[in-house]
Amino acid sequence: MAAIQLQNYTLVITGAPYSSQAPQTALAFARATLAKGHRVDRIFLYGDGVHLASALSSPPSDETHWPGEWAGFLKESGIPGVVCIASALRRGLVDDAEQKRHELVASNLLEPFIIAGLGEWVESTMTSSRIIYFHAGG
Amino acid sequence: MSTLIVIDQPPYGTWAGREALDMAFSLAAFDQSVSLLFTGAGVNWLRKSQKTDGIEQKSIEKNLSAAPIFGVKAMFAEASACARYGLTIENMLAGVAIAENSSNLLHQYSHTAFSG
Repeated sequence: MAAIQLQNYTLVITGAPYSSQAPQTALAFARATLAKGHRVDRIFLYGDGVHLASALSSPPSDETHWPGEWAGFLKESGIPGVVCIASALRRGLVDDAEQKRHELVASNLLEPFIIAGLGEWVESTMTSSRIIYFHAGG
Repeated sequence: MSTLIVIDQPPYGTWAGREALDMAFSLAAFDQSVSLLFTGAGVNWLRKSQKTDGIEQKSIEKNLSAAPIFGVKAMFAEASACARYGLTIENMLAGVAIAENSSNLLHQYSHTAFSG
């Protein structure tokens, strides 16, 4: 079998959990990618995808907790999970700093996700060999 | 490295297109080469004189007309989508090139991103 050229990926998720399969498909892709020896540089949540980083998701106990699954995967792998700040603020996803800045009643960003700008995605376009987008579809 | 951002969603009724435009402006802000392709219902972005008071949303026309100023290299509209939605040179924003064959266009870019 010919040797596979190893890639370093950025995964962009724009579909929300529980309204699309995007986060689930992306997680399966990320695990398969690492299993084959490739690298994942960064996960970038954009648009409705930011809901994946909510610390307040509470699905029924017989359904997969996708934010929890993703957070566990990011902690184990050490891959940075970046949430677009503009998408996040529009949709009510904030960390402590944004809570203070906007004088909001609470923060709800799930660890280890971090909030940052689109510049992180721009950097991925320059440094990752592949960028894969996971959209809601439909 | 050149990126083509493809907007295939209408300007209103979804935020996907606006967020795709933000991606394009962000690339341009970091001096990366970026162009826009409007296809499908996305060509409605290019309609002149959009009046949005009735839906309490800002018209995207101003955002879009800023694209060349922000450094977006080119804007393309897919010919068949324009025909389908009744867009002609007369009722379309200035500075848009008509793409007869968008598959040829896609091959000219090393990275493409859709608006979701």
